[in-house]
Amino acid sequence: MPHPPRRPSPPLLRRALQALLGLLALPFALAQEPAAAPPTAGHGSYTILHVAKSRRQTSDHSKFQVLKGPFKDSDGPAVTRACLTCHMKAAEQVMATSHWTWNIAKDGKDGFGKSTLLVNNYCISIIGGNTESCARCHAGYGFKDKSFDFTKPENVDCLVCHDTTGDYEKEKAGWPNPGVSLAEVAQKVGAPTLKNCGVCHFFGGGGDATKHGDLDDTILKAPRAEDVHMSRQGAGMDCIDCHASDAHKVGGPNYVVPADRREQAKFAGESVSRMSCAACHSDSPHKSYILNRHYQKVACQTCHIPTYARGTLPTNTFWDWASAGRLKNGRGYKEEDANGYEKYNSIHGEMIWARNVRPSYVWYNGTLKFTRLTDRITVPTDGRVILNPAEGSYTDPNAKIWPFKFHEATQPFDPILQRFVAPYTAGPKGSGAYWGDWDWDIAIQKGMATAGLPYSGQHSFVKTTMLWPVTHMVAPKEQALACTECHKRNGLLAQVPGFYLLGRDHGTGVDLLGFGVILLTILGVGIHGFIRFSHGRH
Amino acid sequence: MRRVVLYEGFERFWHWAQALLILTMMLTGFEVRGLGLHLFGFQRAVALHNILAVTLLVLIVFAIFWHITTGEWRQYIPTRKFLREMIAFYVTGIFKGAPHPVRKHRMAKLNPLQRLAYFGFKVLIIPVQVTSGALYYYYPNLQHALGWPPASLWVIAVVHVLGAFGLVAFLIGHVYLTTTGHTPLTNIKAMLTGWEELEDDAYFDET
Repeated sequence: MPHPPRRPSPPLLRRALQALLGLLALPFALAQEPAAAPPTAGHGSYTILHVAKSRRQTSDHSKFQVLKGPFKDSDGPAVTRACLTCHMKAAEQVMATSHWTWNIAKDGKDGFGKSTLLVNNYCISIIGGNTESCARCHAGYGFKDKSFDFTKPENVDCLVCHDTTGDYEKEKAGWPNPGVSLAEVAQKVGAPTLKNCGVCHFFGGGGDATKHGDLDDTILKAPRAEDVHMSRQGAGMDCIDCHASDAHKVGGPNYVVPADRREQAKFAGESVSRMSCAACHSDSPHKSYILNRHYQKVACQTCHIPTYARGTLPTNTFWDWASAGRLKNGRGYKEEDANGYEKYNSIHGEMIWARNVRPSYVWYNGTLKFTRLTDRITVPTDGRVILNPAEGSYTDPNAKIWPFKFHEATQPFDPILQRFVAPYTAGPKGSGAYWGDWDWDIAIQKGMATAGLPYSGQHSFVKTTMLWPVTHMVAPKEQALACTECHKRNGLLAQVPGFYLLGRDHGTGVDLLGFGVILLTILGVGIHGFIRFSHGRH
Repeated sequence: MRRVVLYEGFERFWHWAQALLILTMMLTGFEVRGLGLHLFGFQRAVALHNILAVTLLVLIVFAIFWHITTGEWRQYIPTRKFLREMIAFYVTGIFKGAPHPVRKHRMAKLNPLQRLAYFGFKVLIIPVQVTSGALYYYYPNLQHALGWPPASLWVIAVVHVLGAFGLVAFLIGHVYLTTTGHTPLTNIKAMLTGWEELEDDAYFDET
């Protein structure tokens, strides 16, 4: 690559000579790894980081006889058996994690997980008969319904996390796509990169960028301005650089464990997840003492992620199940808005999508209280149920003001039993699934029967809100919020309660009193002066 | 008439430096509060306000030292002597061209009203602003350590702001009253140069 022509152009002869030298060097340049080309801009640590990562590998998996197969199409378990001949404890480790169980049970709380009673306001739930399609993202093979054997080590899918070719793909129930050459993928396994995590976590909610808003496919090719950490022009980090694992347990928040909980290792060598910014940046990274003190009450993300969905893809902000099922000539249809975003689809209802979205700000101590299908819900007077309210307030020393994506929706509800319901949605015509037969009553009945849960036979639609913490897509520091975006009247924190905020709060009547005193002084002085000077004396 | 140095070098430096500091702190303070001023930008205004506060504190320490060592602090002892006459002078006499009831003297350059006003300024307004400002600045450090309720910051802020409004009112009155000398600029000139013409027979019993 030529150097950028910053200097004045050299004389012709020298330029010709340089061109000749360049041509001579070309074959050597071509023989080098293309990945060695330095990134075009930014911090440039991507290359160094990834050279270091590849150097750490102690074995070349393409040399292992057992990985040469041949493997039958889609025979994932055969590959796993091969992996386990060396990594004999790996499956056991994976099976202890939520990537496998999809069920979080801790501290006496149970049923928080995709495979159990958790409710969300995108696709609602998988347990009403939708497991087979949703389990495309399960780190296993064959999860299609309740009968799945969670104790069988060969059902663990090693490749989805360890594929480095990008060719590996999963189908229904998590089986490998028959078109994938399993032997080829197996011989090139490595540590998970952005892509491995992204194949599922970028596509939450059923499509790219749909669910999180701060995680989508565009991160793979993001400019530094979209995400300073994961962009190749930025730090070039992988997910696991922060979400560090311990015996295959990937660090991360889940439904019952606070998100921002650990800053530093408690003892040398402890494997901790570096999911708090302070773990790398310290708790006082600014030059300004006053900015550093914001750390007490304001999450780093609040200022440093001014908007989410900053790639080219919009994220879903509203999903109206109540309006689903409009048909044209007995068939479902789709409509797009002016931006080309899907604004109506018979299978989902009306939707709103948005890019560059300003987050909502909420006190948050790391704990979100999730809702299960078995929880009795009292619908508030405004008719809006928050499915996972954030815990925390100004007086809570662990709480900070955090940015959230608020996802609004309407979704089916059992008004008699006062519970949310899990409809059977993904299925063919005649199966009773909503997307086949367009009948909520049957779909919910089928779904609840499959889930083994009671259903009164009546349904209504309830407005729901979900809170999604915004923590990825950290912007370059130049784009961080300015002071006055919060320190002003009706600023971004206008609705965050419980404390006095400089510039936002004035105290009723304080300014009025102050200006009154000043005005009276001016008036007094003015009258006094007027009389003095109009009498011609001083 | 004779010309005397009424305000010494340090005194004048202290007065004008304090005036400049307080004026800038008013501007930065009201900008930070969001009263429509946009002079420095929020972040710079906050930084400036805090730096100036420390500067003012240093200046005040020097001024206190100066006042104690020179004995000039006695100038500010409030007195009732001629207080009524002073009030009468400002309320009526001044309009009729009545003579100033109190003559300036090197050892008593402040009239009883000035003594009261400056005494109040020194022992009330400045301490309140310094204390509330320090509490405001260190609030994040103190809040959890001392278990203060969330509303305490509001109280601190309101006190600090009311003090600031009080300072503005003081400034207006102060500047206006400087114009009540022989000519409207006599007193300001004296504060700038130090020299003032006192009447020959000026005599004041020092007790």
